[in-house]
Amino acid sequence: MALLQIAEPGAVVQEPASRKLALGIDLGTTNSLVAHVSDGDVKVLPDGSGDVCLPSVVHFGAEGTLVGSAAEALAVSAPHDTIASAKRYLGRSREELAADSYTKLAESGLAFETSQGPVTPVEVSAALLGALRDRALSSLDMPIAGAVITVPAYFDDAQRLATRQAAELSGLNVLRLLNEPTAAAVAYGLDSGEEGVVAVYDLGGGTFDVSILRLERGVFEVLATGGDSSLGGDDFDQRIVKLLRDEASLHSLSVAQERALLRCARSAKEALTTASEIEVQLDSIISGSGAVTVTRQAFNSACADLVNRSLDACRQCVADAGVSQIDQIVLVGGSTRMPIIGEVVAALFGKEPLNSIDPDRVVAMGAARQADLLIGNRDAEDLLLLDVIPLSLGVETYGGLVERIVPRNTTIPVARAQEFTTAKDGQTGLIVHVVQGERERVEDCRSLATFELEGIPPMVAGAARLEVTFQVDADGLLEVKAQEATTQATASVVVKPAFGLAEDDIATMLRAGYEHASEDMHARQLAEAKVEAEQLVAGIRAAVTSDGDLLSGIEHEALMTAVNELVDASQDDNIESLRKAIEVTGRASELLAARRMDRSIKSALGGISVATLEGEAES
Amino acid sequence: MPVVAEGFSGAPKDYFELFQIEPQFDLDTDDLGQRFRTLQRRFHPDRYSGGSAAEQRLAAQVSADINAGYQALKDPITRAGHMLERQACDLRALERQPVSGEFLMQQMHLRDKAEALSSDDNEGRSHLTAEATALMRAELLSFQEAIEKEDYELAGSAWVHLLYLQKLNKEVAGSSDLI
Repeated sequence: MALLQIAEPGAVVQEPASRKLALGIDLGTTNSLVAHVSDGDVKVLPDGSGDVCLPSVVHFGAEGTLVGSAAEALAVSAPHDTIASAKRYLGRSREELAADSYTKLAESGLAFETSQGPVTPVEVSAALLGALRDRALSSLDMPIAGAVITVPAYFDDAQRLATRQAAELSGLNVLRLLNEPTAAAVAYGLDSGEEGVVAVYDLGGGTFDVSILRLERGVFEVLATGGDSSLGGDDFDQRIVKLLRDEASLHSLSVAQERALLRCARSAKEALTTASEIEVQLDSIISGSGAVTVTRQAFNSACADLVNRSLDACRQCVADAGVSQIDQIVLVGGSTRMPIIGEVVAALFGKEPLNSIDPDRVVAMGAARQADLLIGNRDAEDLLLLDVIPLSLGVETYGGLVERIVPRNTTIPVARAQEFTTAKDGQTGLIVHVVQGERERVEDCRSLATFELEGIPPMVAGAARLEVTFQVDADGLLEVKAQEATTQATASVVVKPAFGLAEDDIATMLRAGYEHASEDMHARQLAEAKVEAEQLVAGIRAAVTSDGDLLSGIEHEALMTAVNELVDASQDDNIESLRKAIEVTGRASELLAARRMDRSIKSALGGISVATLEGEAES
Repeated sequence: MPVVAEGFSGAPKDYFELFQIEPQFDLDTDDLGQRFRTLQRRFHPDRYSGGSAAEQRLAAQVSADINAGYQALKDPITRAGHMLERQACDLRALERQPVSGEFLMQQMHLRDKAEALSSDDNEGRSHLTAEATALMRAELLSFQEAIEKEDYELAGSAWVHLLYLQKLNKEVAGSSDLI
């Protein structure tokens, strides 16, 4: 809503009949789920046949696109057209895509080659999100206002950006990218009113996350987060595959046989959750190969190093959080069903983990809670999430070393300014290479983007002062701005993502024919812009009524001129000029908004200033 | 290749003012935490997720300031740094100033001890940590006295000493097998 609720954000007025539908989506490596809040209860939505888990598999065949189990069924017969675990490749380099043994890398770009041509991991994810959105639409028959989509806490900027782009492609409005462990804590915290320090151990299909959170008076503060973005249930499956191959001496298998073997391994892993040993029949894969017995003991030993990697990350995270005790442990992800996980985690933290919510559903449920809150269906005063940036952000300096700008586990949103200067006389351009990671050398960190600053006024070396501001928003996404400090000249920033899709690519894909990019898109955008203009005008008028004293006569006049121009612009159907007027008026209102926020900061703390004054009187 | 210029830029903000706390070194961190949560509850971008672009930008900015302020004030060493900044001290220049010979000798002595520690010598490590922590406590006291007397030169040198000792403690902790 508009400018006016600054003083009392909890008091946002909703039209009573307009309860909006907001989705919580767990976009998983193996399975994806969608949930929503209805009458205060979180419901995970099933598909037509009653399954809540949508296998994260998409088939791009010559006859068309299939999503979920229908696609999974074709994984063996058409491996190249059937893409699973695409989440592992979001925001990743071409070399990393090439590591997927079942698919075929496209000739160029960050894509897999299918019967429908090259398909990027972003498009695979968009297809999954689209299927979940359709599921919600068909079962709820309400327009969707937006969605909270979860990501592993350990996702870097490129991976988060790719997730956001997938949502954009599928036509979903992203309310927030939420870290999976935080979502799980929300699900538990709200349901049982827990307070204290919580450790969330999240072992999914392809990623491992651990977070330490403190819950205090409705504020969930993430103290530290860590993990391993390439450790997950899939790795445990591979260990069983290896056990089976070694035992049955299976060599040189076809891609189809590999997939069949993987499926056997997966069911074996699931069976070992309850059984202490099982017999795996391999005849259906290669006749004459017989049966192999796998004991839980043998499986546990084969996975010991994987388990230990997760425990190392837990210890590091506890140290980073600086806490001395853990009050609750939440297990998330289907892989935590493996008995060994519960045992080692309980031993490490000295406490039995909570498991009253299905670990496959808990993330989607927490996301739905948060989505409901963000869309304004609930009293916003009762919960706030304060998340952190999982990996340090830095820039490349001389000698390939990293200068750290924002250290990991800094609470977001965050803005840090860093000054740069030129190395040569008359230098007018500067390239800033932004990396993410904890290592000292650039080559050991992940390259995020290159920013080119142009138009620096020529000066002697070292005289220019370029102020570069690194902002990380509440989604964990980075934005960079640059300004030359002595001349106030704004240097333009050209973003070149290292491994990902540029905004232009996304625009092209949108045009290339996703369903919502049809001819009515223009009409929809115009309608949305008119609503935005209306809200902005109403907001400014109300703000001027309540806090007009904060503006001088000239300032007041300038603001009202902008408002009137916006009112005029919204009478026409020219979307370009309307958007421009919204932008101009929005900027014009910033001064008043900022002063109101200042006033509001003082009043926000009014209640507890008294306590401080008393404290001072005593000392 | 960019050259990182000296010093963080931008006008330094007064975080005591942001949190409406009388500038003081001896801070009640529980009270600070409460003020932090109160402000974030009101200004976090999540509170403006339905708002205009300008409003969201502003909320993100204010929320980032609140985060930065909390980070700066909750830890005594960064709080000391912030108090010096409020007196227009250039922290980067301060860091490069030579320390006294006496302090340097003491540091070298501690460092030799740290280097001699084997990775499984937990007793030696905790002795050394205790020694450094005691020195830090003394420096924190001397910072407080100096800042109250408005002796910013002395306060600055106590702050620099604290940085040395903090670094030493980090290195000692990092040499351990266990985390």
